[in-house]
Amino acid sequence: MKKAVITAVTFAATALAGPAMADKLDDIIASGTLRCAVVLDFPPMGSRDADNNPQGFDVDYCNDLAAALGVTAEIVETTFPERIPALVSGQVDVGVASTSDTLERAKTVGFTIPYYAFENAVVANEGVEMTDWEGMKGKTVGATAGTYEAIWLEGKIKEWGEGEFRPYQNQADVFLALSQGQLDATVSTVEVAEANVKSGNFPGIRVVDKAPMVPDYVALITLRNEQGLLNYLNLFIHQQVRTGRYAELYEKWVGEGEPADLTIKGVYR
Amino acid sequence: MFNYTFQWKQAYAKLPQMLDGALVTMQIAILSMVIGILLAITLTLFRQSNSRVLKGIATTWVEVARNTPALFQIYMAHFGLAGLGLHLSPYSSLLLGITFNNAGYLAENFRGALKGIPDTQARAGWSLGMTRIQAFRYIVVPQMLRISFPTITNQMVWAVLMTSLGVTVGLNKDLYGVTQDLNALTFRTFELFALAAVIFYFIVKIIQIGARLLARRLFRY
Repeated sequence: MKKAVITAVTFAATALAGPAMADKLDDIIASGTLRCAVVLDFPPMGSRDADNNPQGFDVDYCNDLAAALGVTAEIVETTFPERIPALVSGQVDVGVASTSDTLERAKTVGFTIPYYAFENAVVANEGVEMTDWEGMKGKTVGATAGTYEAIWLEGKIKEWGEGEFRPYQNQADVFLALSQGQLDATVSTVEVAEANVKSGNFPGIRVVDKAPMVPDYVALITLRNEQGLLNYLNLFIHQQVRTGRYAELYEKWVGEGEPADLTIKGVYR
Repeated sequence: MFNYTFQWKQAYAKLPQMLDGALVTMQIAILSMVIGILLAITLTLFRQSNSRVLKGIATTWVEVARNTPALFQIYMAHFGLAGLGLHLSPYSSLLLGITFNNAGYLAENFRGALKGIPDTQARAGWSLGMTRIQAFRYIVVPQMLRISFPTITNQMVWAVLMTSLGVTVGLNKDLYGVTQDLNALTFRTFELFALAAVIFYFIVKIIQIGARLLARRLFRY
């Protein structure tokens, strides 16, 4: 009899506990905290204000997402190369970090639909004669290692067969090198380029031209197998656009004008 | 929690590129050691000299090299010197930073080694008609290098490992730089860095075995 009771209780407890395999979405809601990897040397997407608090488009985006989930947001600062280790080692749940959705990377991590799209600008040192993007041919150029524009720029250097490409570890080092004349030019997103020229932190740099690149569509990332969370994130991005929040955040952080279209005509997804 | 499926084949496919990077790493390490040893001998001489200026230069060098992070030394070689209008390529900046570090550490060790060589050795040389420089070069330096041999080997290992700091100054041709670039392309962080670690391990092993063989040859007597 006693044995039967214990068995029954154990059985009931197991049934109540539900399936042992709760997914990441459940984990986040249960923990009450959403941990986002955000790059904070990438204004206006991510930076720190005068009081050293995280701010920017990506920071607000993470806060919105946390609010939708009904949890508190925690911003975990990462560099571009650290995003993936932070994700797979469980230090963060989601990367809200302007991650370009390349097919090569999609073999490793799970990408949502795009949540933002960048156009890129060519920025040059004032001492270098350059009137358009093709002026970069034969020059010493650089960008932040591993970014969409770095991959494009290094490809161009290989294609041209002249010039040199230097990848730096963060955006600040790229602009420092450019300002010092170590680099002749760089390619960075229009937003970052304008913010850096305007800031006055890097004297002697100017925006030259738009880079002839396909817009850099960036997506939220999480673990590749977290389909439930990916579904939620996709719908969240959809909601951000249709409620007008995307446009609102664009105006707040980037400025006047229309935010880039996140859809591509003629295809699904 | 560690949520990751290892895809070793994707990393192995990049092995040839990484081995090319390993050659650059070796090249930098060897160059920085050869120049570093020559500089260290010079610094040792400076410290022995009666000139306050030369002594000051040598002491400052050794103090800075030994008491600041190698990362700082390499970063300064690139961004610091550029601020003064001297532009070095990422390769040269890394080489300069590591050489500076090597020279500082080795000079300190050479000083210790010198203490183990009795003055009478040099004096015997002079009595045979050698100049001071000849006696230093043919009698003191060989013994000094012999005593410091294990330290030199260690410093060589350290030089190889220090090349990984080249990424901070934009170098992407050495082993660590190549790995970092591949990581950015594919996001296969752990496989690629594990593979790089194994290559680093073997480079260091080869140096240690090489040093042991060399020691056997050099120190037969």
